[in-house]
Amino acid sequence: MNKNLHDRAEKLIAQERIEGISQSERDWLAAHLRECPVCTQVAQQTTAALHALRGLPIPLPPGLAERTQFRVQLRAQEMREREPKRRLLWIMCAMSWALGIATAPYVWHAFEWAGERLGVPRLVWEMGFGLWWMIPALIAAAVVLMENLRLTNENDQSE
Amino acid sequence: MADDNKALAQGLKRHDRNLLDQLIELYQYRLFRYLLYLTSSRERAEDFFQETWIRVLERGHQYDGKYKFEAWLFRIARNLVIDWQRQKKVQSLDALTDPEEGAPMEFAAVNQPSPLHLVLTAEEKTGVHTSLDRIPTVYREVLVLRFQEDLGLEEIAGVLAAPLSTVKSRLYRGLEALRGAMQGGPA
Repeated sequence: MNKNLHDRAEKLIAQERIEGISQSERDWLAAHLRECPVCTQVAQQTTAALHALRGLPIPLPPGLAERTQFRVQLRAQEMREREPKRRLLWIMCAMSWALGIATAPYVWHAFEWAGERLGVPRLVWEMGFGLWWMIPALIAAAVVLMENLRLTNENDQSE
Repeated sequence: MADDNKALAQGLKRHDRNLLDQLIELYQYRLFRYLLYLTSSRERAEDFFQETWIRVLERGHQYDGKYKFEAWLFRIARNLVIDWQRQKKVQSLDALTDPEEGAPMEFAAVNQPSPLHLVLTAEEKTGVHTSLDRIPTVYREVLVLRFQEDLGLEEIAGVLAAPLSTVKSRLYRGLEALRGAMQGGPA
């Protein structure tokens, strides 16, 4: 029999199990397998291998689910305890940004007035204003970074 | 099914404790089996099992319910294993690298059983254990996902974060390797 036919049959045997094949391909394969003992053996070996793989028993460590549930509960509790702190942090950030925006025109005038009174160049007091406005955001970012760093350290230690 | 997944996604967003307990019970066997095939170590599989569920708790809001939950779960587990391998700088032929892109596929030495072999044969000695042990992890993984977990090809591609063509290629080679290894019989 032509080698190409065997190659096609072997490809279809695998394809049938991996992706599926069309009805015409299935008919062709069935006809080929009726005449070809070599490809029939390949098909049987493939079926047997997959059957064995599907029925393969894996011993589960005793109490794995219970231990995991316990750890997950502990972590959930930890997260719940941290949640109010985080919420408070974000509320404070939001409030400080809102106040910053609301008071920006007044602070700008204050900086302008102080700059003129003290004879500070315009660029310097403008930079001072920018810095003043950024302080809440910088503090919030620092706190969040420190919190993340602490969490990472805790996770490393627990591992 | 889609509605179930949506409900699951909402529960995970709420950090629903009962739901998590149920999921751990429900998927314990499948997740542990997958991790065991990935890590070839019972202890590591157990550690990663617990870590995976902690991640599920922490990142539950990222699951949108569009795909099967198990595909998302396996992806988390896989990423944890890959992160660990990167940290430990594990460089081996049988790591999660594609043999087609790296070293050629080789069977493990017959007279030196691997950790997976020892784990699997500790309680149950069958030919398929030995045969699986001879297959590189990268093929073993897709075989397990396709034929034990019954995941679709696209879902496997999602778990592996790899193109569909890669998944198919690994499955064909893996199936061929499994059949070949089983023909060879137990080591």
